[in-house]
Amino acid sequence: MWWYVGKRILQTIPVILGATFLIYALVFLRPGDPIVGLFGDKPVSDAVRAQLEAQYNLDKPFVVQWLLFLKGALTLDFGLSYSGRPVIDIIAQTFPVTIKLALMALVVEMVLGVVAGTIAGLRRGGLFDSTMLVTSLLVIAVPIFVFGFLFQLLFGVKLGWFPPTVGGDASFRDLIMPAFVLGLVSFAYVLRLTRTSVIENLTADHVRTARAKGLGEGTVVRRHILRNSLIPVVTFLGADLGALMAGAVVTEGIFNVHGVGNLAYTAILKGESPTIVSVITVMVLVYVVMSLLVDLLYAALDPRIRYA
Amino acid sequence: MPDTPRPGQERFVASLEETPLREVDAVNTDIVPESQWKEAWKRLRTRGLFWISAVLLFGVLLMIAVPGLFTSKDPTMCDITMSLAGASEGSPFGYNLQGCDVWSRTVYGARASVAVGVFTVIIVALIGSVTGAIAGFYGGWLDSVFSRVSDIFFSIPLLLAAIVMLSVVNNLFPERNFWTGVLSVVLALALFAWPQITRQMRGAVLSVKNLEFVDAAKAIGASPRRNLLKHVVPNSLAPVIVTSMISLGVFIVAEATLSFLGIGLPRQEVVSWGNDISDAQVLVRAGDDLHVMFIPATALAFTVLAFILLGDAVRDALDPKVKK
Amino acid sequence: MTADMHEKPLLEIKDLQVGFRNGKDINPAVTGVNLTLYPGQVVAIVGESGSGKSTTAHAIIDLLPGTGEVTGGEILFDGEKISGRDRKHILALRGSSIGLVPQDPMTNLNPLWRVGTQIKEALTVNGIAKGKEADRRVVELLTEAGLPDAEARARQYPHEFSGGMRQRALIAMGLAARPKLLIADEPTSALDVTVQKQILDHLDTMIRDIGFAVLLITHDLGLAAERADHLVVMYRGNVVESGPALEILQNPIHPYTKRLVSSAPSLASQRLTSELRAEVREQAAEVAQEHLPTQGEFGEGLDLIVEVEKLTKHFELPGSRPWAKKYSVAADNVSFGLRRGTTTAIVGESGSGKSTVARMVLDLLEPTSGIVRFDGVDIRTLKSKEEQLAFRRQIQPVFQNPYASLDPLSSIFDSIAEPLVVHKIGERDSQERRVRELLDKVSLPSSVMTRYPHELSGGQRQRVAIARALALEPSVVICDEAVSALDVLVQAQILTLLNDLQSEMGLSYLFITHDLAVVRQIADDVVVMQAGKVVEHASVSQVFDSPSEDYTRALLDAIPGGSIALG
Repeated sequence: MWWYVGKRILQTIPVILGATFLIYALVFLRPGDPIVGLFGDKPVSDAVRAQLEAQYNLDKPFVVQWLLFLKGALTLDFGLSYSGRPVIDIIAQTFPVTIKLALMALVVEMVLGVVAGTIAGLRRGGLFDSTMLVTSLLVIAVPIFVFGFLFQLLFGVKLGWFPPTVGGDASFRDLIMPAFVLGLVSFAYVLRLTRTSVIENLTADHVRTARAKGLGEGTVVRRHILRNSLIPVVTFLGADLGALMAGAVVTEGIFNVHGVGNLAYTAILKGESPTIVSVITVMVLVYVVMSLLVDLLYAALDPRIRYA
Repeated sequence: MPDTPRPGQERFVASLEETPLREVDAVNTDIVPESQWKEAWKRLRTRGLFWISAVLLFGVLLMIAVPGLFTSKDPTMCDITMSLAGASEGSPFGYNLQGCDVWSRTVYGARASVAVGVFTVIIVALIGSVTGAIAGFYGGWLDSVFSRVSDIFFSIPLLLAAIVMLSVVNNLFPERNFWTGVLSVVLALALFAWPQITRQMRGAVLSVKNLEFVDAAKAIGASPRRNLLKHVVPNSLAPVIVTSMISLGVFIVAEATLSFLGIGLPRQEVVSWGNDISDAQVLVRAGDDLHVMFIPATALAFTVLAFILLGDAVRDALDPKVKK
Repeated sequence: MTADMHEKPLLEIKDLQVGFRNGKDINPAVTGVNLTLYPGQVVAIVGESGSGKSTTAHAIIDLLPGTGEVTGGEILFDGEKISGRDRKHILALRGSSIGLVPQDPMTNLNPLWRVGTQIKEALTVNGIAKGKEADRRVVELLTEAGLPDAEARARQYPHEFSGGMRQRALIAMGLAARPKLLIADEPTSALDVTVQKQILDHLDTMIRDIGFAVLLITHDLGLAAERADHLVVMYRGNVVESGPALEILQNPIHPYTKRLVSSAPSLASQRLTSELRAEVREQAAEVAQEHLPTQGEFGEGLDLIVEVEKLTKHFELPGSRPWAKKYSVAADNVSFGLRRGTTTAIVGESGSGKSTVARMVLDLLEPTSGIVRFDGVDIRTLKSKEEQLAFRRQIQPVFQNPYASLDPLSSIFDSIAEPLVVHKIGERDSQERRVRELLDKVSLPSSVMTRYPHELSGGQRQRVAIARALALEPSVVICDEAVSALDVLVQAQILTLLNDLQSEMGLSYLFITHDLAVVRQIADDVVVMQAGKVVEHASVSQVFDSPSEDYTRALLDAIPGGSIALG
């Protein structure tokens, strides 16, 4: 098993290298002079410019810039943002908020999606099933920010159940509504996945055998259908955390949550390359780590999988 | 063994009239030959969901081809004095904040949104199925290279990657018209979305290439190329087609999201659902004139729904399990 | 066993009708089954696929798949009507009164639970035992089902079991609550013959020791006759004949039963088949000699058309560490020959390496070492495309799975014409003529040309596969389990077709099979393989009459019904 983990970690190295290189290349292609951006309309003396260029490695060739970034990243030193703050500080400040938000969204989609998907699958073709299918399709078809605004208006402004915007200090209660909105789309996918999986397992041979033993319907569902059906769902959920953090760009914007999504978005618009590259690198890391965890979890759930 | 059989177990022979004998393995001559695609099409026609999506799609196509059928107003003729004016003759849903006709903008907005969806899917499906088929069929180092490269593109969250990409393109080419605007969104989405199809195609090819008919073709002397193109790829395409239809809807939503974030389609040059929904957010925050957002949002939702329903219906029609 | 005329039947099925709902229509699957089974008896339902035998069995315990429902007749268990009752009633019967041993051991155990846990479920739900006591009982049950080292085995997962071991576990599960009736639905058809015999022998002992009745569902008439007291023969949803097992076998009355008895390979008369075979061989050798000069484009015209010398194949397996490579030996030093115009059968159980050898002879798989010579030419020396195509024209395969051996998206015409297209033989017109000819050769109407594989039965698809193999007029055809997936009657038909084609075209066959019973009908020489090695290589008569190896003898003994004397 440890050999497998080792191999997987080795495999992630080219992925991380490639992904950072890709982002670095994209950001590098973006025209505009960051130094000018830094000072606004004020004139910049050549000496200051040279010093700043050296500080941000702007005077070096592109590949060298990228390598220097990687070297720093190894020690969690992501350099300075153009406003002069260490990028790692900014990330450390925003990251926990987004992780909290994404985890809450994950719980929402998991609980709602699995429960609704299971019931829908067991009662295929029934009223609940049809309602859930329509709901899930609507959730996928309507852009998430429309839901965001609606919820904000209805539960935030009109009903006043939740604060319509979050702001600097995000408490658990503040994040409930944004988390719900963030998890909506994935909820639809979890529901559809669980439903299909349950329907597939309902007709499995071993389920018939379980019935032939004399097991009641409840036991059959709990022990022989649910557990088998949840394996693909778990894989989806694991890989989804990264997507949720990226999706936070929209949700955090609507609810004014000061998280990584908001940070990334403003950084991209301003062309703050050090911040952009660092944030995306962190997200790639999250994705890579989660997919490794999912693989291992998969082996724990399914005894047939043994990694050599 | 008892000499006299027990009650109910006496020797029994059914009469030949009641159980007539058929020829062994006779060819059923009533069958009208139909390929699997034709059969799938037949099953598709019996599905209500397919017809719902077909009607919706037809409506959208009509909006794209002849918008004049639906509205007589020009979506770009805006009059700020008409800002938020109510419904009137020829303007069933009134005017938006800028004084443009809401309904006319919704009708004309179909073009950009559908164009983004269609072109993105075409590019993604092409790159994905070619790389996936090569990786799965030839294996070896080709597989390693393609898989690793697709991992790289897959590891960056699609939305963030598209935002970065667009911010670059928007800054490189600040002057954009309808087509260059659409093109840049298409490229931004396609560049990071293809690995999903690659993975799916690779999996499908891996399971098909070990089937006996592929071996039979090899034994005939068919070249690997012929085998791949004639037998393996056609038999692996079904899941890719289904995913492509569903992704088409998802890309339309993604375009709207990018436009909402202000870096999608250019606001001045392109009439699009995403831009209109995004423009209306100020109104929603105030809680008034919700329909200015709802009309384009509903049009977008129905279009996306149509593509997803179509994908679902096609999947059911192609699924051999449903067949039996 | 003494006949007790007053004993009450355990299971009675009266005029049972079962249908599958399709919208508003009901497609009938069983249209009239009568059956009586007494305590302690073994009753077998015999029939081909689609005869309704499994449907009947599932109707008894109300486990019909999908939209199936009982539409008429009644089922009585222990004198009480059980069909059409509420679910609670049937639930009380399942497991405790009626046990089930399902067909496919690979899919019938839940892969996520330990085997012991799954058997324990049957004990707890039926109130037999709980907790530690149930655990002990599980071990006893597994031991009883003939599984050695049961205590450790109970803690393993299904994927750690072989097919035979899983089937034993399923038997233990079916008998866990000591039901009065065990429904065994093709309990051994997915297993190797020797394993099948072990398991059925063991089931016999258990029936004697524990005393329960068995309703055995099987497609194998020989097996049914050997194991059951009473036979029920089903055909297209009806019972066509029933009665004492031996009587039916020795004196079948219904034409369908007669057909079955005469087609069952294990029962076929030895004298007749060997005479037939001799005729075929003589004719084939003659034709093959006549064709020799025209086949001059490849080879030297040797009598030994295929010669396999010390063929070995290793497959690399992932080791416990990245650098520790393990190998599995699929074929180990295999040597044999195929004479022109004859058939050599390679017989072996799963994992014996027989298909690996076939693939190497076909040049679809590269051997680790060893040589395959085709008509004197080492096939690894063929480098140019022309040489390779010339070799391909000489040797063609027919594969096992009729559902996978034709491209589902190609029409029958395209499939049969593909060899002609690849080898650039003729124009579209002449190709079409040739395809008609070939279809005629395999006794299919030329109207199937425009059809697609899913519109043909398994047997018909195999005919198409044979037609495709013959398109290039090869001298050797490799049949890799070509008849194994077919029903007995269809199987007999295809075997006859293969024999006819051999005598007509002077073909040589390499016939790969797990079923020794069919070998006598088609082969002249036999190669018996076990675990990658050739254990015996001799003529058919030698192998059947005086086998020299224990393993060959075990294989022969395991042929179901082989020992039954026919009238």
